[in-house]
Amino acid sequence: MKSSINIILKYRLFLIIAAAAALIFTFTDVSQSKILKDQLGRVVTISGKPERIVALAPSITEIIFALGKGSLIKGATQYSNFPERAKKIPRIGSYVHLDIEKIVALRPDLCVAVKDGNPQFVIKKLEALKIPVYAVDPRNIESVIETLKELGVLLDASKKSKAVIQNMQERIDKIKKIVAKADHIPKIFFQIGISPIVSVGTNTFVHELICLAGGTNLARGNISYPRYSKEQVLAFSPEIFIITSMARGGLFEKVKLEWSRWSDLPAVKNDRILLVDSNIFDRATPRLIDALEVLAKLIHPELFTTEIKRSQK
Amino acid sequence: MNKKTPVVLKRMIFISLSFLLLLAGAMLIGLSMGSTKGGFKAIWEFVVSGSADDSVLNAIIWQIRFPRVLVAALVGATLSVGGLIFQAILKNPLAEPYILGISGGSAIGAIIGILIGLSRFPGINIIAFSGSIVTLLLILVMSSGKSTLIKDSLLLSGVMVNAFCSAVIMFLISLTQDFRLHNIMFWLMGDLSSSDLYQAKILMLMLFPCFILIFLYSNTMNLLLLGNELAITMGVNIKAVTMTLLVVTTFMVSAIVSQCGLIGFVGLVTPHLLRLLLGSDHRILVPACILGGSTYMVICDLLARILPAHGEMPVGVITAMIGAPIFIILLKKTKT
Amino acid sequence: MTIAIDVKKLNFSYKTMPVIDNISFCVKKGEFFVIIGPNGSGKTTLMKTISGIEKFKKGKMNILNKSVKKYSKRMLAKKIAFVPQTVPIDFPFTVTEMVLTGRAPYLGIFGFEGKKDIKIAKDAIAFTEIEHIADRKLNQLSGGERQRAFIARAICQKPQIILLDEPTASLDLAHQIKVMDLMEKLKIEKGITVVMVSHDLNLASMYGDTILLLKKGKIKSIGCPKEVITYDILKKTYNCELYLDTSPMGKFPRITLIPGKYSR
Repeated sequence: MKSSINIILKYRLFLIIAAAAALIFTFTDVSQSKILKDQLGRVVTISGKPERIVALAPSITEIIFALGKGSLIKGATQYSNFPERAKKIPRIGSYVHLDIEKIVALRPDLCVAVKDGNPQFVIKKLEALKIPVYAVDPRNIESVIETLKELGVLLDASKKSKAVIQNMQERIDKIKKIVAKADHIPKIFFQIGISPIVSVGTNTFVHELICLAGGTNLARGNISYPRYSKEQVLAFSPEIFIITSMARGGLFEKVKLEWSRWSDLPAVKNDRILLVDSNIFDRATPRLIDALEVLAKLIHPELFTTEIKRSQK
Repeated sequence: MNKKTPVVLKRMIFISLSFLLLLAGAMLIGLSMGSTKGGFKAIWEFVVSGSADDSVLNAIIWQIRFPRVLVAALVGATLSVGGLIFQAILKNPLAEPYILGISGGSAIGAIIGILIGLSRFPGINIIAFSGSIVTLLLILVMSSGKSTLIKDSLLLSGVMVNAFCSAVIMFLISLTQDFRLHNIMFWLMGDLSSSDLYQAKILMLMLFPCFILIFLYSNTMNLLLLGNELAITMGVNIKAVTMTLLVVTTFMVSAIVSQCGLIGFVGLVTPHLLRLLLGSDHRILVPACILGGSTYMVICDLLARILPAHGEMPVGVITAMIGAPIFIILLKKTKT
Repeated sequence: MTIAIDVKKLNFSYKTMPVIDNISFCVKKGEFFVIIGPNGSGKTTLMKTISGIEKFKKGKMNILNKSVKKYSKRMLAKKIAFVPQTVPIDFPFTVTEMVLTGRAPYLGIFGFEGKKDIKIAKDAIAFTEIEHIADRKLNQLSGGERQRAFIARAICQKPQIILLDEPTASLDLAHQIKVMDLMEKLKIEKGITVVMVSHDLNLASMYGDTILLLKKGKIKSIGCPKEVITYDILKKTYNCELYLDTSPMGKFPRITLIPGKYSR
């Protein structure tokens, strides 16, 4: 009896291995050419595992690196500067003005595009040249997570994408918890444009971050990037000014000085005119969570010092 | 007797053939160079054996560069001939193809198209084209009711309409934020990067009949330059000829502008350059502008593509930077 | 005697102002016909109507026994050639190029000249004695040379009638005579009818076979120089003092103007 069970066990193992092998083969047969639908509903056919990718926007480059597949990127756009290694990747133009020749010369087997910004005719041209183009549309945290998932599947990095997503979720939940304790939700004016004055509307991820970080976006509304005159901003009576560092150093000081003239503003009274690094605020990548954490600490410093004190204990 | 006259026909054929050769040469160079290397070898292989080995390079040359070089040639030809015709009709050496509001009207059309999110082809093309036709009609209505000598009223109406359009354009630009601003600026500066074989074929279909028609009118344009009165006594129907040439030229230039934006300077300077070199006879200038203008544009587009380390310059910048000095040098030489 | 131009009850007005008022006359074939008259008499307008530059609404005009309305523009260009007073020179052609444009009504659809046309142009240039300046640009010529070049162009049209609008207006003495002699030569050697508008009464008297005197759009007088250039007629028309006698060179009247300081 035992010997037969042993034989069956061995046999079962063999069966399992055989089954696994069969599965692997079928899996790779199927993956010989995948037919997928990208985030814009386009049907994209990709054969085999992509080994030479061209990322058509800096955010795409970042996301692919976050998935641990940065070495597959053979071409990136001009401002793909994160992480550090991305700076060494050959350039293929800027994301609004792509150089088709350079892209084609890199012989990619997959291009990843973004909906907002990449010129349509370039995408069409690449497809006409039989280069598959997978388009994503990372507009907010949810779609960034979707993008991570999909690219994870595409690039055979599902494990890593799950890990990244989980990390993001945990950090988001942590912030949510801390911010829930706030007794006051301050009015924020988030300034991304100096001249003219431009802020962010409801349909942007910065708005989402502000809400998550326990603040109110004064510029909320239908227009994605609304413009304001100085008077309108004064009428808002913001409690906090957050200005992104589109231009370095000197310009921020000037802007801060400008707003400081209006001493009646709560933001001026409490000295809450703050500068943030635009690099993490205007790209739809996992670093948005970094931005969220920065924002939360700026808006509710009181909640975080207690946290720090508590963690120090 | 002298070398210029008689047998203008022979002279025209000789000049046309020379320019054709120049154009072919320029196009070959244009195909061989770009932001990637190896083109010359591929072209040589193609010329010698009829096919190239490297398929990627092949794709680059024939599917990316070739439509662009072709469109550049068509743009150069159309704008140069357009400038020549407007200079003849308006009897004004400062005339150029955009002077009668074509630029203003089509720009407004294109910008509106970009803002409402139309794709380059066919959406923006059609809107831009309609914009320039509407503007032409506006100008014709504004300057109608005068006698056969409508030259100055046409010119003035055109200048006014263009000024108004500029104001509208600036207004539209001030409303735009985001990446569409980039698209608009590139269109206003002239953009050959979205050239496509299908578009090139459509352009050729639209332009070649116009070129032929204009060539048939070359001698008539010579007569127009002698003054309307003399032209009438020579059998020219001034109103009909002016109207026909106006409509045909507007049609041609609008087709180009709606595809490639406002590439400037070519239409003003090429006719003058060629006139300095070859004389004022339109029977020679028309083919010279078509073939010479296209060569010039192909070369300028090539430079626009290869000079900057990253990306490309607007081709209108190159046409001005090269054209102006050449013109001044030629002008100085012929004055002495 | 055939009639070259037959005008009947011609009327022409600019908007509401009548410039030519119901005039009728005829020009005989092969004659030297000079139209004179004070400023504003309608001389130039009459010339423009005959040449087709202006269109008249009332009246009839026959050119070589055929109504002018029945001619196509091209046909008319082969019968009548026009020599204007001035021409814009923004885009200067060479003299030869400009003279060759006279062949336009005869050229085919592409407008290229053949050997025959080139010969005709050469002959015209020789006839007007401008071979030495045939290669110069138009804006490098003197007034007289330019006028002769335009006459050469008109000759290339091989017309039966040549119209000239004040051809001697800005010419020096020598060129005035040269041009008038050229017209005479055309009349005699080629049988071309010459119709000219002129301010110069003496030249009109010297060369004209028939003079037409216009005042305020109406015909004041028409006939040979002896009949038209008389003291009474001229005094009434021009309203100024003049002295008339017969020229010592032939049997034609000679007009001398009298400056204020010499008038009685």
